[in-house]
Amino acid sequence: MSTTDATPAAQTSGEIRLVNVTKTFGSSNAVENINLTIPHGSYCCLLGPSGCGKTTILRMIAGHETPTSGEIYIGGDMVVGKPPVERGTAMMFQSYALFPHLSVLDNVAFYLKMRDVPKEERRAKAEEMLKRVQLHTLKDRMPAQLSGGQQQRVALARSLITNPRVLLLDEPLSALDEFLRLRMRGELKNLQNELGITFVHVTHTQPEAIALANMVVVMDTGRIDQADTANVIFNKPKTPYVARFMGGQNVLTGAVAGKADGRIKLKGANGASFDAPATGSSPKDGEPMSIAVRRDRIKLRKSPGGKVATAANEIPGVVVSTEYQGSYVKVSVDVGGDTFVANLGDADYFADPVDKGDAVIASWNAADVNVLAKADSGKAVDVYAGHGN
Amino acid sequence: MASQPAYGPRPWTFYALATLFTLFVIFLYGPMIAVLVLSFQGPSASLVFPLREPSTMWFDELINPRRPGDVMGAFGRSMPLALIVMVLTVLISVTAGFAFRRRFWGSTAIFYMAIASLIVPGLVLSIGTLVTFRYLGLTASWYGSALGAHLSWALPFGLLIMFAILGRLSPSYEEAAYDLGASKWQAVKSVVIPIVFPGMIAVALFGFTLSYDEFPRSWLTVGSKNTLPLEIWTMTTNVTSPALYALGALTTFVSAIVIAIALTSIIFIQRRRAGRT
Amino acid sequence: MTPSTSAKQSLLPTYLQVAPLTLVLMLFFAIPVLLVIIVSFLKYQMLVGIVAQPTFKNYTDLLTNPTTWALYRSTIKFTLIVLAITLVLGFWIAYFLVFHVRNLITAIGLFLLCTIPFWTSNIIRMISWKPVLGKEGLINSGLIKAGIISEPLQWLLFSDFAVVVAYVHLFTLFMIVPIFNSMARIDKSLLEAAVDAGATRWGVVWNVVLPLCKTGIALGALFVVTLTMGDFFVVAVMSGGMSGSATSGIFNDLQLLNYPRAAASAVILLVIVMLIATAIFRLVDVRKELVR
Repeated sequence: MSTTDATPAAQTSGEIRLVNVTKTFGSSNAVENINLTIPHGSYCCLLGPSGCGKTTILRMIAGHETPTSGEIYIGGDMVVGKPPVERGTAMMFQSYALFPHLSVLDNVAFYLKMRDVPKEERRAKAEEMLKRVQLHTLKDRMPAQLSGGQQQRVALARSLITNPRVLLLDEPLSALDEFLRLRMRGELKNLQNELGITFVHVTHTQPEAIALANMVVVMDTGRIDQADTANVIFNKPKTPYVARFMGGQNVLTGAVAGKADGRIKLKGANGASFDAPATGSSPKDGEPMSIAVRRDRIKLRKSPGGKVATAANEIPGVVVSTEYQGSYVKVSVDVGGDTFVANLGDADYFADPVDKGDAVIASWNAADVNVLAKADSGKAVDVYAGHGN
Repeated sequence: MASQPAYGPRPWTFYALATLFTLFVIFLYGPMIAVLVLSFQGPSASLVFPLREPSTMWFDELINPRRPGDVMGAFGRSMPLALIVMVLTVLISVTAGFAFRRRFWGSTAIFYMAIASLIVPGLVLSIGTLVTFRYLGLTASWYGSALGAHLSWALPFGLLIMFAILGRLSPSYEEAAYDLGASKWQAVKSVVIPIVFPGMIAVALFGFTLSYDEFPRSWLTVGSKNTLPLEIWTMTTNVTSPALYALGALTTFVSAIVIAIALTSIIFIQRRRAGRT
Repeated sequence: MTPSTSAKQSLLPTYLQVAPLTLVLMLFFAIPVLLVIIVSFLKYQMLVGIVAQPTFKNYTDLLTNPTTWALYRSTIKFTLIVLAITLVLGFWIAYFLVFHVRNLITAIGLFLLCTIPFWTSNIIRMISWKPVLGKEGLINSGLIKAGIISEPLQWLLFSDFAVVVAYVHLFTLFMIVPIFNSMARIDKSLLEAAVDAGATRWGVVWNVVLPLCKTGIALGALFVVTLTMGDFFVVAVMSGGMSGSATSGIFNDLQLLNYPRAAASAVILLVIVMLIATAIFRLVDVRKELVR
């Protein structure tokens, strides 16, 4: 950490707490009644498709938007109405927002200039910060003369020189090519470990969130669907939306058809039946219920005869495509209109390969089933259509 | 989402600048409205407020003048001149705009010549054109020397507008057209021209109005017959009746119609495009 | 010719495309200006006119005449005053439209409101100040009615004040449009980044907005300076003959049919205007701004 204690941010915690935050643009709600606590020192990813409100949340924390209602606390201070600079946050913009008329050094020194730090001193400090991101050799260049990755480091240096307790990153990796993205991803993670401050990172790509975050917040049209560790989000998604958005999951919906041996029996389409572990609540018969099964827990076997009555936890279908992914093969199976995906280990797959058009039966262990808190309405994106009235 | 503006309370600077803006608009339009109102002055022939016995007599006076002068004749020259300048400005600046999309020897020289033509004082050019015509043994006329002088002023504007428009036109549209088997001319006709059409209307608007209102460049170049701005200029020095205001109201009305046609057609095209995509 | 835009393509069509423009500019700009320069070095004889005899007399006459210097002083005074006013007005009006008006359609509408008068007659717009500023004009009669003054203010019309008012009225648009263009291109997140770094409202304007619309300001200044310096009818009408401008000298000589001296005046004016323009072009790369 830097030695200046003058910044109000230095001593306080970087815990962020949003209480009943709603933001309305015109007549539509960008975010609705958000409650969220991001612990100090965590790497939090706000994940969701474009337009879900994740950037709005970030900008409200930064102070570039004012919530229509609700409160935002940073380190215990209510910050709504405070100017950005008094919040102890620093924002890294999606386009980096480097000042095109200032050199790299002056960009980094801008914060100090605003605080009337003498020229020599602020240049020295900015150079120190540039050394940390290994860009001091390019300090006299203009932003337009830098590559995307270099621009991003300058933006990072410019944010860090404010000595923030919270760093807000708006899609920081989206403008980079695949190779740089992976490298910068690692560097961001290391930086967060080293600084120990709170990072809030907005992204729409789930591998990025899973790789970086110790807290993932999955958002859907203005609401938080699930906020938990990456591991839980990925393995135990709460809603069909999260399961689908995180990928790697098959969502199945059936009607409850009795209970046996601590398991709930579900009847799906086409006469298929599944078991689900009993949950706290006891659903009534006939109620719809959704379960999720990880793609890599699915087994496939050929069913040469075509339509075969299947046992529990099985579903028949026809292979529509196979995609080789290196360490595994992604097999998509059409199960009566829905697509069911099995990720088979390459060794398993090549031992008994299936091909497009093959009739197969997909099966899984009852133990791998994860019950979703909400039944699937059948639509992949618009899960809560009609819910918010 | 990122581009959404902040909807917090408006800062005080908003109100200060909104006041400044309103005052500026009043400053801009107020006098013109005063002239418009006073052009309906009654037979008292007073050049100032209040308006007494409103009438249209000063408009009649323009059409059936009791004094020497040729307002209608001047209008009959200004209108075709403006239309010719408009057409030529569109044709020449559009083609030149395309040329400037490529680097060619002399492009910088031609560019700076156009800029110089834009900023050279009109009177200087007026003298020069007159002397040139004398030297060539030609008689100055509105359809000759004045037309050229107007073009030297309207073309740089047209060229700058084309730069702005073509700068935003991605070459991939044409490339896509070529990929789909279009010839060079077909690509221009059915892809490029429709895309830049609103810009061409803007160029036409500039061409027409710059010529229609031009005074210094016309002064020595129109020859023996006046164009409308010159007629107005003569009136400012020897007419002390609201007929002058009536003429002002009338020419402004003509300009207003031209502006309205141009702007509504641009808005119409943009709307239709927005509706389609 | 292959249907591709590769650099290998023949430049002939390009030259054909640029030929009409070049022809018009040569015929109606380059040659006339050249002839003005030549004529300015020729002798003038009463009743005869231009005599083909080279001389510097036109220039020495002008430069030794105190009237010339007085006229230029007056022109430069007007130019500086008008430049300052239009710059301040143009900058803040553009700033208001770009950064304070939240709805894009409204902003474009208000921008058009500012630019529409550009397409109407300058002479009409100028004389429309007469019923406003005159002795019995709107302002004087209003002030008398309100009891603020008892005698009409004489300096409102036919004065330097009236000249400046008319110039500002005619030329502010030339400042607003290029500054608006530059400002509209500024990425809004740059302002947020500056606010993030603790910049005050004024700090953002000074450190981010102003440097980034330098080109627009330069372009606007170029227009305002050249238009004001090249004007003669506003000064003639609005000052009521009390003030002169650099071009009034030309005007007078032309009425005396002394073309060589008028040409010499024109050349001096041209040189000054071109020097200012070159200085502005040195300061910023206007072409880059225009072409991009």
